[in-house]
Amino acid sequence: MSNVSGKTYGLTILSPIIEDNRLDICHSMQLRWYLSQLPRDCRSPFAQLSSTYLARLVVMDDVVFVGHPAAEDHLKSRYLIFETNFDGDLDTYLQRMATETKEFVEAVWKHCVGFPGTNDVGAFIAYMKKCQLNTTFFFADVNDQTVESTLTALKTQAALAHFMEKHEGVAGAELQRAFGEFYQRLSKSPALPRGGNQSRDIRQEKIPHE
Amino acid sequence: MTNINGKAYAMNAITPMKSWKTPILKAFFFILGVVKPLQKDLKNLSFIHFARWVSVGRNSFPHLSEQQPREDLKYDYLLFFSNFNGTWNQYIDAFSSVLYKGLDAVWIWSEKYPGSRPVTSFKRYISLVQFDTDYYYNVYPHSATNDVKAALRVHDALTAFARNSQSLSPAEFGNAWLELKATVAPDLGSTGIAPEGT
Repeated sequence: MSNVSGKTYGLTILSPIIEDNRLDICHSMQLRWYLSQLPRDCRSPFAQLSSTYLARLVVMDDVVFVGHPAAEDHLKSRYLIFETNFDGDLDTYLQRMATETKEFVEAVWKHCVGFPGTNDVGAFIAYMKKCQLNTTFFFADVNDQTVESTLTALKTQAALAHFMEKHEGVAGAELQRAFGEFYQRLSKSPALPRGGNQSRDIRQEKIPHE
Repeated sequence: MTNINGKAYAMNAITPMKSWKTPILKAFFFILGVVKPLQKDLKNLSFIHFARWVSVGRNSFPHLSEQQPREDLKYDYLLFFSNFNGTWNQYIDAFSSVLYKGLDAVWIWSEKYPGSRPVTSFKRYISLVQFDTDYYYNVYPHSATNDVKAALRVHDALTAFARNSQSLSPAEFGNAWLELKATVAPDLGSTGIAPEGT
């Protein structure tokens, strides 16, 4: 199946957004506003979904017109694109979305046609699968790891570089003892924060909407 | 800019295709998926975490309610999503320089595709069919795909060293340590924030 590469699943969801002309602010705009306020670092809902590598949400207003002599095409609905890359199987991931990031899922998909809510997890999974597009070709550069094993490796790399720098010129029994302590500390130290720390926030995104 | 999170850039593009061309493109992707050596250039570029192409038939857009109007489209559409490292210009330049044959084999079936060379008309086409990302999450924002691969090699080397060095004398440990340093030295570059650019 093209949705899978090694241990990585590539999920593509296309959810039609509700069109309601009676609203002052349309659903797609409300959705965009909500997404612009959502943290993108370790406080992101995807950081809670610990198997997520990279994920995006995009409001697609229309298809493109590439110029004459191509014919002009237009969509009758706007669509929310949800593209995510994670380790593990689809049902578990969707189940975790509905239970562990319930508030986020409700806030986003309440703007979409046919969203059944998250109280009935089975109905939510069925809804997402109705909106799923099968991937025609999926490329994953590293596809034999999990998020946890990758973050562990990145932590190891940084810690070892620091240890080597600090112990340059140390040899023999002293080095052996220091390495033993270092390796024990490393195996007990917490994993890197998923999504990075909070300091990367873009200040403009915190300015309240006028 | 929400297309960027740390070292990763999220690209979205959509291009129209005549329906009769879609099966040809799917056949090409099938071959690309089965014959792994054909992915060599894509792999060797080593700056794409994940990328995917999704073809959507003109009658295949999700329809979930009778209140939702049915789409009435003339074309099938090819969606492209990429998570790459570096700037947009570097990405398109690299594609045009190294992967031009593969790119042309994919997008030649899309309407008005100008070819990936010369790069100027290719960039104009991409900017026309690209649309922006509203929200982008990256689990390791400070790490490019090369950083990830280097870290995995370091982790494997260190795990093996820790396992094999337990019963060594201090002198033997010193020699093994030097070997470890030589092995992992190319992979110990530190990760950090991405360069700025377009």
